[in-house]
Amino acid sequence: MFSSLFKAFTNIFKKPQTIDYPLTPIAKDKDYRGLIEYGEESCIYCLKCEKACPPGAILFVKTDNPSENEKNKKSLLYNYNPYLCIYCGECVRACPKPEEALWQSNKKPVVAIKSDDVNSGWFEIEKLHKN
Amino acid sequence: MKKTINIPLGSQHISLLEPVRFKFECENEKIIGVDSDVGFVHRGVERACTTNFKYDGIGYVVARICGLCAITHSLSYTVAIEQLLGVEVSKKAKYLRILLLELDRIHSHMLCLSHTCENAGFEAMFMRIMGDRELIMEMQELLTGNRIQFDYISIGGVNRDVNLELAKKMLHTLEILKEKVLGYMDEFTNNWSLSLKFKGIGALSLDEAYQFNAIGPLARASGLKLDVRNEISYLPYKELGFMMQTHSDGDINARNIVRLNEILNSIEMCSNILLGIPEGEILTKSKGKPNGESLVRFEAPRGELMYYVKANGSAMLDRVRIKTPTFSCIPAFSHIFLGENYADAPAILASFDPCLSCTAK
Repeated sequence: MFSSLFKAFTNIFKKPQTIDYPLTPIAKDKDYRGLIEYGEESCIYCLKCEKACPPGAILFVKTDNPSENEKNKKSLLYNYNPYLCIYCGECVRACPKPEEALWQSNKKPVVAIKSDDVNSGWFEIEKLHKN
Repeated sequence: MKKTINIPLGSQHISLLEPVRFKFECENEKIIGVDSDVGFVHRGVERACTTNFKYDGIGYVVARICGLCAITHSLSYTVAIEQLLGVEVSKKAKYLRILLLELDRIHSHMLCLSHTCENAGFEAMFMRIMGDRELIMEMQELLTGNRIQFDYISIGGVNRDVNLELAKKMLHTLEILKEKVLGYMDEFTNNWSLSLKFKGIGALSLDEAYQFNAIGPLARASGLKLDVRNEISYLPYKELGFMMQTHSDGDINARNIVRLNEILNSIEMCSNILLGIPEGEILTKSKGKPNGESLVRFEAPRGELMYYVKANGSAMLDRVRIKTPTFSCIPAFSHIFLGENYADAPAILASFDPCLSCTAK
């Protein structure tokens, strides 16, 4: 009984457990699961990442201006939606060339609100992909 | 003339964390009738699993049913699929699975204990437990890369390994946490604010626990020796020092003590795992498509979680049925309220640790 009173009293002289965000940034581990990054030069266009992605945040669609990568025989373009991604890393595990073609960074996505309309272009990409 | 009054608790209430509605029929202060409704956050997860997602992505879908027992959901589903595919998981992966499962149990129990304190009007204790819970959350983040949605379990094993440096850090943190939990044990048994509010309130006898099919810490607090960890063979719990924690009183205090003892036991199991992680691969590749039926049970922080999976040899499943612990406990919850004072209802409800996100799914 009295020990808890004593602890509550000593808490007055302790530093707060919370941090002064946003003045002090939140500590981020180097292995934090963040955005998926893509290296076009090393990609072999096997589309394994697209098939493995649970929410369908990676889509390859046909484009008129394909990259100069010689493996890109079907003229595809890599599209990634960070707002749909769940950062599970299944795509990186499915990739035959992880760390070169596809890797997981510890960067956080930029926070967006409804008026930013971040998904508007994505629905068109999804339609193109279905066709 | 009607002698009773109806008072609702929920679906939005200051003492509730999640939307559940209890309609109490009260005679003065005493509750004489209870009616409950749990379907406020239905999201159609079972349907989505069989229509929108392939079998290898469902582990990530079911993890999002609940933030607190995300790991138990994804693990139950994954083990069900592994049984259909005939995948052998390495011993190291099994140990790492138990490690995260027990860390999850510790932080879930700490959340429940802090909220029982808050409902007893002991805000300082609430802050203290929630502050210490951060130790576990940080460990989970270091281990899996995220605080809540771990996405740690894959079909065939786990996604990340533990290195020596991390294991040392975790062992040190577990030691600090053990000291803190022993401190809580003292508060929960001796502090007047907690014992006045909790001792002898909301009691469930052993016979009633049998009769109303109570599971999890609710049943163990009444002396019912029921723990899925003691009954399953797909995870090596017994060699890691698992001990079933029971109490005989069945009241709110007994539930708190059972939870505290379970935290201590989980800390011991986590330390045993970190001290003796076997060598081996963390992920075994699986081949083929699931075919047949599979049923898996696991001990979630709130009790038995059951997964039934039916597959037809294609990538889409026929059926995913999830039975969650809170849903099974509702008859026992309703019975406990009878004869209690309405003023005690929020404290009793917090001691059940209900998870409506799981229940309504």
